[in-house]
Amino acid sequence: MKKISILCLAAAVSLIASGAQAHFMVMYTPEIALNDSSDIDLRMVFTHPAEAGHTMDMDGIKEFYAVYQKGDGEPKKIDLKDTVKEIVWTNPESSDIAYSALIPKRTFRSMGDYVVVLVPGYHFEEEEGVYMQQIAKLAINVGGMPGNWAEPVGLPCEIVPLIKPYALWTGNVFKARVLSEGKPVPGAEVEVEHMNHPPDLGTNSMPAEGTVEYPHDAFVTQTIFADENGYITFGVPKEGWWGFAALGVGPDKEHEGKELSQDAVIWVKALDMK
Amino acid sequence: MKTITLALCLAIAALFAQPAFAHTAILKCSDNGDGTVFCEGGYSDGTPAGGTFMKLSDDDGKTILSGKMDNNGEFTFDKPDVHYTVVFDGGEGHQAEVDSNDIVE
Repeated sequence: MKKISILCLAAAVSLIASGAQAHFMVMYTPEIALNDSSDIDLRMVFTHPAEAGHTMDMDGIKEFYAVYQKGDGEPKKIDLKDTVKEIVWTNPESSDIAYSALIPKRTFRSMGDYVVVLVPGYHFEEEEGVYMQQIAKLAINVGGMPGNWAEPVGLPCEIVPLIKPYALWTGNVFKARVLSEGKPVPGAEVEVEHMNHPPDLGTNSMPAEGTVEYPHDAFVTQTIFADENGYITFGVPKEGWWGFAALGVGPDKEHEGKELSQDAVIWVKALDMK
Repeated sequence: MKTITLALCLAIAALFAQPAFAHTAILKCSDNGDGTVFCEGGYSDGTPAGGTFMKLSDDDGKTILSGKMDNNGEFTFDKPDVHYTVVFDGGEGHQAEVDSNDIVE
């Protein structure tokens, strides 16, 4: 009897806890500040990275490409859809279809910025009866020569950084602007999560053990708001990966007759000064 | 006294001018695998390196080959048979070098 009540309690707690989790389109490769060009092994998983939580179906990949720029040169679009493969991603308590991409060394050969863009399909959130589409960006630099990291790609919605997203120190302030159809979104609601369970590319999974213990549910997903000009600021408290998701900022509000939340996601990586 | 003031002024001016030179020269080279080597150069602030002097030195410091970066800050050359160093010469404080042992495909 005692066992059952503990189980019930655990179930209830996990239910409550799941309410605090945020859906995040994870785009991950171990290194984004590269000295030399190398093969880039990337994963795209729709999950809850702060808790290695529920893994969800992203309904395929509509677009996957990079916008490359060296210095003040002309930006160039590089289609990467050919590099994508379907995989199964496994987190401690769930698994679902996700995608890997192996971008050959020669593709990202020149110095400069490669802003990698993922436009996924529409995830249907059954409990709420709404669709979600998180358009994600990840900037990779080769050789230290900057390019278009601070330029909008021109997505329906996106987060445009004002500090090099691939060269953050722990403790830096991440500043960025939330755009919808190129225009700032005043007061945009942005969720922030730490990649607390570092992805394992060998096994396509996140470990059960996290690097941080949360003292309270409110710390799992942090919420910040953009100011009246669409700017967000966030002090990065720990090394590693940080994801930002601006909720419902995209212009599309409906998909197949149901409500759609079209979100903008960006991933940044901070290193300790040592 | 006048000289000292002038010197001081110049020193202060030099201090203020410093941030403009905060960028560093960057040089990256890779082996094309067809007997040629491809180098790219620029500055950490995104300034291109078009027209910058380039040279290849052997171990005795002798120049094997010299040329200039093209408008895109790129420089391709035939791979020498000997060990060499690629030198990017953007003027004082703006030099960068790559050892041929570090140039891979």
